[in-house]
Amino acid sequence: MNQPTHNNPQKPSTDATQAATPLYSGPIIAATLSPLLGFYTLMISHHVSRVTKDLDKLVHSFGHWIPGSTGTGPDGSIGSYSGKETLALGIWLLTWAIFHVLWQKQDLPVNRWIPLFLGAIGFVTLCLFHPFIDPILLLLLSQG
Amino acid sequence: MTTEQPIHSNLAKILVRSQAYLALLILLLLAGLDFFFPTNYRLQAGLHGMSAIASVVAGTYLTHRAYALIRGVHINFKSLRYWVLASTILNLLGAVSGNWIYMRYRGEGGPKDWILANAPAFHNYMMEFKEFVTLFPFPLMAAVTFILYYYGDAIHTRRDLTQFVGIIILVSWMFLLLGFVTGLVLAKLRFV
Repeated sequence: MNQPTHNNPQKPSTDATQAATPLYSGPIIAATLSPLLGFYTLMISHHVSRVTKDLDKLVHSFGHWIPGSTGTGPDGSIGSYSGKETLALGIWLLTWAIFHVLWQKQDLPVNRWIPLFLGAIGFVTLCLFHPFIDPILLLLLSQG
Repeated sequence: MTTEQPIHSNLAKILVRSQAYLALLILLLLAGLDFFFPTNYRLQAGLHGMSAIASVVAGTYLTHRAYALIRGVHINFKSLRYWVLASTILNLLGAVSGNWIYMRYRGEGGPKDWILANAPAFHNYMMEFKEFVTLFPFPLMAAVTFILYYYGDAIHTRRDLTQFVGIIILVSWMFLLLGFVTGLVLAKLRFV
């Protein structure tokens, strides 16, 4: 019968505020482009570390702050994986902050970004699968 | 008729919740029993396994919510925000515990040594792939969590944004499942 009435004076003003403030898509593009750049950093640093022992040491040096990044014996260590993670984490967070500040008041085309995002994430995944990427890398290295 | 209806719906609710909690509990035993395995690395194994299972369960439930986002039907954004936040935390726990168990994996006489000697493809192709793609769900779900908190309920006014959030949840789930299955295969092949 009688519906309970909620006298919430906040509600209309909230709706009015929402209607008055346009939603910009810039922050969503920033939040999704930056992890992609982190994934590509992970992939590139991984393959760089496989080229020579010196490059592996260089990549590893970025990750020494992570507990268990160095060590031998049965307990082991995560080795240069720590450096790859550190570089990826750094690129992810740094680019996120930069793009967010740059694009917070911009409306970028989300519908055009979605296929690019999916294609880029599919490609980086393939590039982490050695049977796919190794022949390409060997070809590149033999020419370089 | 008005008295029977609530009893029936209440019974269904009780059964559904019991089934969900029992399923989660039994499924968690899959890795929870690792805590009692005869190895020095039982803590790492149990923790990583349980966080991986919990991540997959939360991620799978979220795919159900993702389709509502993609279809554009009514969403309880408050509950969704809590779920994506919990999922992000579980994914982080999975990645951190994964780092911890990976040390023993690469340790002297550990699974890596054994696999390279007996079935090298499982390390060279599977582990070298798994160790990276399992890092993907945490930043993806961190992005989803940020987006849902940043835009608030007003996000429902932009279909393109809600659809994209739904798609990111699905993509994250795919990597969770890939990581879960490859992790399970490697643990079956040679336990820590």
